[in-house]
Amino acid sequence: MKTHLLCLTILAAGLVCARAEVAAAQKRLEATVGDVIAMAERAKSASQLSAEVSPVLEKNLSFETMTRRAVGPGWKTFDPAQKAEATRLFTALIINSYCEKYTLGERAKVSYKPAAEPAPGKVEIPTTLFYKGSNYEVLYRMEQTDGWKITDILVEGVSLVANYRAQFDAHFKRGGAAAVLAALRESTGKLQ
Amino acid sequence: MTIHQLSQISLAAVMLCFGACAGGGQGAKKPASPAMAGKEVKPASGASGAADAKAVVESDEDGQAAGPRIPDPIEPVNRAFFLLNDGLYFAILRPVARGYEFLIPKPVRGGIRNAFANIRFPVRFVNSLLQGRFEQAGRETGKFVVNTTAGVGGLMRASDRIPALANVPEADTGQTLAKWGIPHGMYIVWPVLGPCSLRETVGVAGDMALNPVSWIGVMVGGGPAVFGTTTSWTMAISGGHTLSGLPDQMNAYDAATKNSLEKYLAARSSWLQYREAKAAK
Repeated sequence: MKTHLLCLTILAAGLVCARAEVAAAQKRLEATVGDVIAMAERAKSASQLSAEVSPVLEKNLSFETMTRRAVGPGWKTFDPAQKAEATRLFTALIINSYCEKYTLGERAKVSYKPAAEPAPGKVEIPTTLFYKGSNYEVLYRMEQTDGWKITDILVEGVSLVANYRAQFDAHFKRGGAAAVLAALRESTGKLQ
Repeated sequence: MTIHQLSQISLAAVMLCFGACAGGGQGAKKPASPAMAGKEVKPASGASGAADAKAVVESDEDGQAAGPRIPDPIEPVNRAFFLLNDGLYFAILRPVARGYEFLIPKPVRGGIRNAFANIRFPVRFVNSLLQGRFEQAGRETGKFVVNTTAGVGGLMRASDRIPALANVPEADTGQTLAKWGIPHGMYIVWPVLGPCSLRETVGVAGDMALNPVSWIGVMVGGGPAVFGTTTSWTMAISGGHTLSGLPDQMNAYDAATKNSLEKYLAARSSWLQYREAKAAK
């Protein structure tokens, strides 16, 4: 009887902890998305938006994880300098891509749905974004690394990381890490 | 399906519903940017492809999805059509879309888009039934009645104010075929129409057959509009149908391909993920 009670207590405590973790991730996401939307609403230009949003995204997105997963198994063949450069270039590409989704002056409204915890330390938070007269389903994948960080964003089922993975794969097969870096340099070069 | 049938479908699709395949139905929301997990792995392109192969999903070492893959045995041809479409979008369709946005006030554009979405009710209703989603079919019917009456012929989305009728998932024929277990087949880029697969090509034809905009030719012109006996009425209405969805289609295309390392691969991955997510719903 005492053993059963102990098991139940441990189980209940585990569930409470898990819910607390999920709530912490959701709180972090809501703060991040809220900040970005507020910045997008008051920004006077795309460059101003990019400058303001960059530190927020760098703090709340795990770009190293995103780059590693976008490159895939080939990441193991990158040396530390190549990994650092790939992460830096991919970060610039994602921030630019994220900022371009906003049209200055347009208001975005986000509603949050109950989060799921597919594995310990991983949370998926579905949201609905109302923007420019349409609703979009946006799912945020977050992971507990040094705090909760976003590791992928899926818009209408389309994963940002998987989309780049399809492109990186082709370049990696053609010429390894050097080809991936060359493609990233070319793409980020077009941003300036 | 013969090449002749495919070309007829393609021609019909080009005439009446540009962007339906790429967008999963005109007016359908397309991904703004770039999940799933599985075991089987296949190369994304070239020599892979048996036409009846399924889109497969690859996992990386983190157990995180690397995205679905689709056989692309005619990649050189697809790339040529993609290049053609890219030029067409840039030179003609994007300026037309911008012109439409400039000339027609936003509330009017929204009303036109809503009205055409409301007209497409049979596509969503029939496919909900074919998927065995009777409750969803009922909600679609409720939505159609409310928008047609309180929404003044569908110009306003009055149903959005009723929680049970807001956000009803949109069923289409490609999704129904996927639910029935029919695989994608190979990847195809149709001229003008854009990214598609064998299954989704049939899906687009099904959507067209169920779309009342396609029936107007029969009603006023004596023959199915999709096979060429169009009248000025059908041209005007189908043109309006196409035009009303064009800005969204262009925005979706830009979002999927801008900031990409390679537009062709980005568009293929975005389209496939979008359709796979839709089939999984």
